[in-house]
Amino acid sequence: MMKNMNPVWRGLLFLVLFGLVGYALGLGVDFLVVRSLRFSGSVPSLFTLLLGFTAFFFGLFGYRGITRGLVWQVVGTLLGGFFVAGIRAIMGLSAFGDFFFTEPSWVFGAFVGAISFIFGVGAVDDWVKWARGIDTPEEHEEHYHGWEKYFAVSLDHKVIGIQYTVTALLLISIGGLFALIFRTELAQSSLQFLTLDMKLFGQNGPQLYNTLMSLHGMIMIVSILLGVAGIMNYVVPLLLGAQDMAFPRLNAFSFWVAVPASVLLLMSLVLGGFDTGWTAYPPLSARAPVGMQMFFLGVFVAGWSSILGGLNIVATVLRMRAKGMTAFRMPILVWASIATSIISLTATQLIGLSFQLVMFQRLFGMGFFDPAKGGNPVLFQHLFWFYSHPAVYVFVLPGLGVISELLPVFSRKPLFGYKWIAMSSLGIALVGFLVWAHHMFTSGMNEYLRVPFMYSTLLVAIPTGVKFFSWVATLWKGKIETPTPMLFVLGGIVVFLLGGLTGPPNATVSVDLHLHDTYFIVGHFHDTIFGGFVFPFFAALYYWFPKATGRRMNETLGKIHFWLMTPAFFALTLGMMRIGLLGMRRRIVDYDPTMGFDTYHLMLTVMGYLIALSVLIFIYNFFNSINNGEKAEGNIWNSRSPEWQVPSPMPTHNYDQPFEVVGEPYDYGLAGSKYVQFIEKKK
Amino acid sequence: MTHTSDKSSAYSQGITIFVYLAVLTALEFFVAVTIGFVQIMVAVAVVKAALVMYYYMHIYKLNNDNEGEENSYEYKTGTNRLGLWLFLLSDSFVFGALLVVRFNLLGMTRPPLSQTLGLIVTAVLLISSFFMNRAEVAIENGDRKGFKTNIIITLVMGIGFLLGVVGVEWPNAIAEGVWASKNTYGAVFFMMTGMHAFHVLTGIIFLLIVLRNGSRGLYDEKHYPVEAVAVYWHFVDLVWIFFYPALYLIGVLSS
Ligand code: HEM
Ligand SMILES: [Cu+2]
Repeated sequence: MMKNMNPVWRGLLFLVLFGLVGYALGLGVDFLVVRSLRFSGSVPSLFTLLLGFTAFFFGLFGYRGITRGLVWQVVGTLLGGFFVAGIRAIMGLSAFGDFFFTEPSWVFGAFVGAISFIFGVGAVDDWVKWARGIDTPEEHEEHYHGWEKYFAVSLDHKVIGIQYTVTALLLISIGGLFALIFRTELAQSSLQFLTLDMKLFGQNGPQLYNTLMSLHGMIMIVSILLGVAGIMNYVVPLLLGAQDMAFPRLNAFSFWVAVPASVLLLMSLVLGGFDTGWTAYPPLSARAPVGMQMFFLGVFVAGWSSILGGLNIVATVLRMRAKGMTAFRMPILVWASIATSIISLTATQLIGLSFQLVMFQRLFGMGFFDPAKGGNPVLFQHLFWFYSHPAVYVFVLPGLGVISELLPVFSRKPLFGYKWIAMSSLGIALVGFLVWAHHMFTSGMNEYLRVPFMYSTLLVAIPTGVKFFSWVATLWKGKIETPTPMLFVLGGIVVFLLGGLTGPPNATVSVDLHLHDTYFIVGHFHDTIFGGFVFPFFAALYYWFPKATGRRMNETLGKIHFWLMTPAFFALTLGMMRIGLLGMRRRIVDYDPTMGFDTYHLMLTVMGYLIALSVLIFIYNFFNSINNGEKAEGNIWNSRSPEWQVPSPMPTHNYDQPFEVVGEPYDYGLAGSKYVQFIEKKK
Repeated sequence: MTHTSDKSSAYSQGITIFVYLAVLTALEFFVAVTIGFVQIMVAVAVVKAALVMYYYMHIYKLNNDNEGEENSYEYKTGTNRLGLWLFLLSDSFVFGALLVVRFNLLGMTRPPLSQTLGLIVTAVLLISSFFMNRAEVAIENGDRKGFKTNIIITLVMGIGFLLGVVGVEWPNAIAEGVWASKNTYGAVFFMMTGMHAFHVLTGIIFLLIVLRNGSRGLYDEKHYPVEAVAVYWHFVDLVWIFFYPALYLIGVLSS
């Protein structure tokens, strides 16, 4: 009977069954250590999560690919944990603790688990063979077909791009769910359901609020990184005319490390959580529960995904361009991807290191950020923001590239100031390295640093302004068409404008001293991130979906998605900024009713739900259209770009015939102009 | 490519560079114990790094225009080279950040460490780079035996460095009152040497792999894997070129 079942139902059945088994197991294990039954404690929840999650994929897909990775991760985590527990027992230290394992055991186990996943899923098989002196075939054969190939290692950049994208959508949903939970608590002043008396995963209500809020931030950031990687992976080789990325195995590796990283992030929720926000400043992060360590590890591992993915993009663009594609004939999205990748290749190391230092401070008592030992907590903030400011450009540059890429298509006009736009991406990326301390005006860093960082930050507005200028000029007198992708492009421009305009006030020291840590900041960065990533991401999905599937997504649902999300989003962030100006602090579970924010907060919560609803509609549309969408195999957007000159869906090895670049990329509406020309293969 | 056109001139170039590096290291040490002029030490380190990058790591090879088919071995080797250098660029941000941490926390003071030990491990690593270079030249000229011998010497020195740092220098530092949880001197010292030692360890693993495969003749024709391991190994040496003065030479001794 099991054999004939729909795999998804079988997966869900397994999820429930093994989730229950895990719960019972965790409850028992926990009982052995602490001698009491903790029904909503961390250990049962963790076992439920790990076993249920793994079993879901087992039911769906059998013991191969991702399932094998997850099984290995669980086993690796336990083995690593027991290993350290054994050593501790020999040393006469406590082997087990409140969270079953002690903190060192969890850290070591989780690390071993993440590595085990990589081996289990098979992402390093070929490298191991190479190390043993065995050659592997260049032309990779697909082992799986249809939907199955997305659940196992594939070297095809198009498959990997979709794997990234779908994982990103999954994480957006999880992060969004967290946001809805804590937004609901905020709808009214005083504590409603995240109360002081409740207890879940070893946390009371306000602690859980902090954990959810922090994880919302980081899960969203990881999902953005994966979403960006998804678009770049899928599209960049197609734009370049390459058969694949420069390093296909590294590409698969980069994607697959993100999976155990996501599991680690979720583990941090149940292992006591943490209350620092996504920025994880010590000294608070040096004291938070063990969930903090899982968070650090998760981000560290996800960082490797970002670093190696960036490396791959740079190498691909430098080495695999089609004939005739000189630097200034590259599509803008390629320029944006290069700029993004330079940042993720280099700066990401610093967030990794800063988190690693806190981990070691907790594990070995190394006093990097502990003033009692001569350490300096402000140093952490420097290391952290040296990545995390440039990272915001990792989030938005590809999105801005998508905007520049699609605008001329739907305005039927050449892109205005191509060279300026191309260079502005690089300009933003480079200046972005020099502004990090604008997050630290109130941190107690040296005062003389404030003014230079203020001016360097204001400088970013120049290359950003260049982009806006070009977009407006491109739209000017264009024959504008507004199918769904274009709606999201236009929405993105307006929203990003709002985000961009609220940046300089934050960068101005005197104003920021008031605005720092208020809801104004929250409104600002949601605007930038939605305008620079979320809107263009949706635009890109609507736009390239037919390329991947040969079908298009439903226009009506797409329009509903847009017209539901956009007004709700404006109300959300403008409301946030309004109460922020009036003094609403961020990262706080409750507020004083006499401040008069209750109505606003209720409105914000409702808007949050509306956005979630619109995204649900999108997700339905996305998955439903894969099989049921209207057929769209030709150049439906009437684009000049090479990938649209061949029928959809794209064949496995991309172009059957190589092409040569013979003109400018964005000369829309100029009669007789051509961007690419396919080269007849000699028979 | 004139640099390594024939084996013996390549060998002698390796020797010359090694002598330069050794003399510069001695100069650096001398400056540290006499006038302690930081600018000179930094300048020496930069010159050493430049020598290593150019003559041992052959950074100029990035510029080779590997004309030819997109799928040819030469073209792919060029792409691999670029990938490796990008990785090293990324990695150097970790080490650079560790230097920032060191100077932020300790300023112009340094932990009390054994100068003799420091000089010995530094010398061992430098000499290992010299032999690594010979191994690479050997395999490029089809000399499998010379390759094997030199790789083994490199390996022994690498392992010697690792044992020297972890097995001798660490206990010694602890005895001097520098331990990880005591204060930032300990924390910085163990973090920097630990991160570096981890890279040495991975380098040793790579060396073992190319030793095994190379001995079986896998790299007689296509020797890029050896080149890659060599570049990585020199990079680890290059990091130490900066870490050594930062930990042992620059600043006044902490009390
Ligand atoms: C002209 C452009 C921009 C300027 C001048 C600017 C300025 C600032 C400043 C000064 C802060 C710190 C405020 C404070 O915490 O007191 C800030 C916060 C933030 N910005 Fe921007 N920003 C700009 C664009 C962006 C973009 C493009 C993004 C992202 C995609 C972004 C994302 C963020 C985020 C996430 C934070 C909050 C970080 C936190 O959690 O503390 N900003 N911005
Ligand atoms: Cu910033």
